[in-house]
Amino acid sequence: MFLEIIDVFISGLINGSVYALMAVGLTLVYGVTKAFNFAYGSFYNLGGYFAWILLIPLGVIGGYFSVFFIAIPFFFIVGYLLEKVLISPLRKYDDWEMKVMMLTLGLSLFMDFGYQAIFGPRIKSLPGIIEGTAQIGEVVLFQQDIVIFIFSISGMLCFGWVLNNTRTGMAVQAVAQNPAGAQIVGIPKDFIFAATFAISTIMVGFGGILLCQKNFVDPMGSTDIMIKAWVITAFGGMGSIRGSLYAAFILGILEAFVGWYFGMIHVQIATLTLLLVTLAIRPRGLMGRE
Amino acid sequence: MLKVKNLTKKFGELIAVNDLSFEVKKGQVYGIAGPNGAGKSTVYNLITGNYSYEGKIEFDGHDITGLPPYRIAKRGIARTFQVPEIFPSLNVQETIRVGSRFGARGGLDLKHSDEIMNFVGLEEDRLQHTGLLNLLGKKKLMIGAALATKPKILMLDEPMAGSNASEIADLMVLIRNINQQLGVTIIIIEHFMKVLTELTETLLIIESGSMICCDKPEIVTNDPRVIESYLGDSYAEDK
Repeated sequence: MFLEIIDVFISGLINGSVYALMAVGLTLVYGVTKAFNFAYGSFYNLGGYFAWILLIPLGVIGGYFSVFFIAIPFFFIVGYLLEKVLISPLRKYDDWEMKVMMLTLGLSLFMDFGYQAIFGPRIKSLPGIIEGTAQIGEVVLFQQDIVIFIFSISGMLCFGWVLNNTRTGMAVQAVAQNPAGAQIVGIPKDFIFAATFAISTIMVGFGGILLCQKNFVDPMGSTDIMIKAWVITAFGGMGSIRGSLYAAFILGILEAFVGWYFGMIHVQIATLTLLLVTLAIRPRGLMGRE
Repeated sequence: MLKVKNLTKKFGELIAVNDLSFEVKKGQVYGIAGPNGAGKSTVYNLITGNYSYEGKIEFDGHDITGLPPYRIAKRGIARTFQVPEIFPSLNVQETIRVGSRFGARGGLDLKHSDEIMNFVGLEEDRLQHTGLLNLLGKKKLMIGAALATKPKILMLDEPMAGSNASEIADLMVLIRNINQQLGVTIIIIEHFMKVLTELTETLLIIESGSMICCDKPEIVTNDPRVIESYLGDSYAEDK
């Protein structure tokens, strides 16, 4: 029983780490632009299909190493173009944040049905990054899970480093904290908005690659991911990166225990209940600003 | 140095700024005053490129009409806001360096940033987080971050708001020093007439987005139109 609980906890921790990687990206976009990207879950799927195309039909040399290497510029360009081509023109309207939500909602549906049209309605499986198990005491871990955890944590550390040590990262923080103040000290807000979308797209794309090789690539799976990312963002506090990190791990572990004890069908109910109760007691979420 | 020509801004049916023209000369301290809602801060937002508008703005001989805010900042126009809250996760030193890194021509200048921090009197608070500073400290910090961009013009939006008498005196000395020692042209929006009459050489009074009067402070404060629409009879009697 005790070992089983440890297993469930570790499983929650691993899922939580990937959720954290993805939710931090979504939170970043909201924190900087105050607009919510409802197509986020579809970019998760794009990560899965991106890996599938490179690994299965193309059989790229280098396997997952090449996938991750190519993914960085690919998702950066996709995110940057998304902002510049579709979102930036909306910014001339007073209610542009609302228009962005509508547009990304439409984009999400377009992408999901596009996946079905291009790749077919059936799920696709990816080869594991690594096979085998590792034993720590009496606890047996899949090496695949260890790699997912390490990659997710590394991704977040890279993100933190970029945010705190690069010119663009500092500008992103400045725009998130005070858009007007950022502009008067010469920070190009339009570029920062686009860069933020690009960084967040890399993060969700990576999350897609990592989780889809553990689960499957499901053309209609984006809704589930979007709900999770939204719950984490709202639960952690809209725009709070630290809040999203805590929320992601709490939700990952909650999911694992609810799924283990009550069955997977109750997972979504449990996470949404947690969100509703939290928001009823503390409307700004765990660490959101008043 | 700064020529504003026929500036007009409409928000739907509301005309916030109506065919306003004025010129600020190099080295001046130029004041803008008027009742609440007169359009003073909107004028700042137009000059710094935050809103689109009709009319033309020239700065240093160049047309800056329609330029985005960050490019206007790079040209040498800096501003502060009524509510002094900038970058709460950063400390004083980092905040001033943000101004230098992004706003100054030539990029981050650590020596200049530190000089500015000393100039505004925040050297002892350099590692203090901005959210923990008192109101005067926050105001000085916002001015410091603006000065770190090496501006030619500094536009101050109600810098004395919420300050007590000694803080006002302190800020007046700072503003005078910025103008005289750093050679920065100043535009200041303010409600305290005493501050404007002591600091400025030219005073523009606007109401409902239109100019009522623009002249030397001693002339403006005796203008019957200004007394009627803004200062009130009690001001004239007290005087």
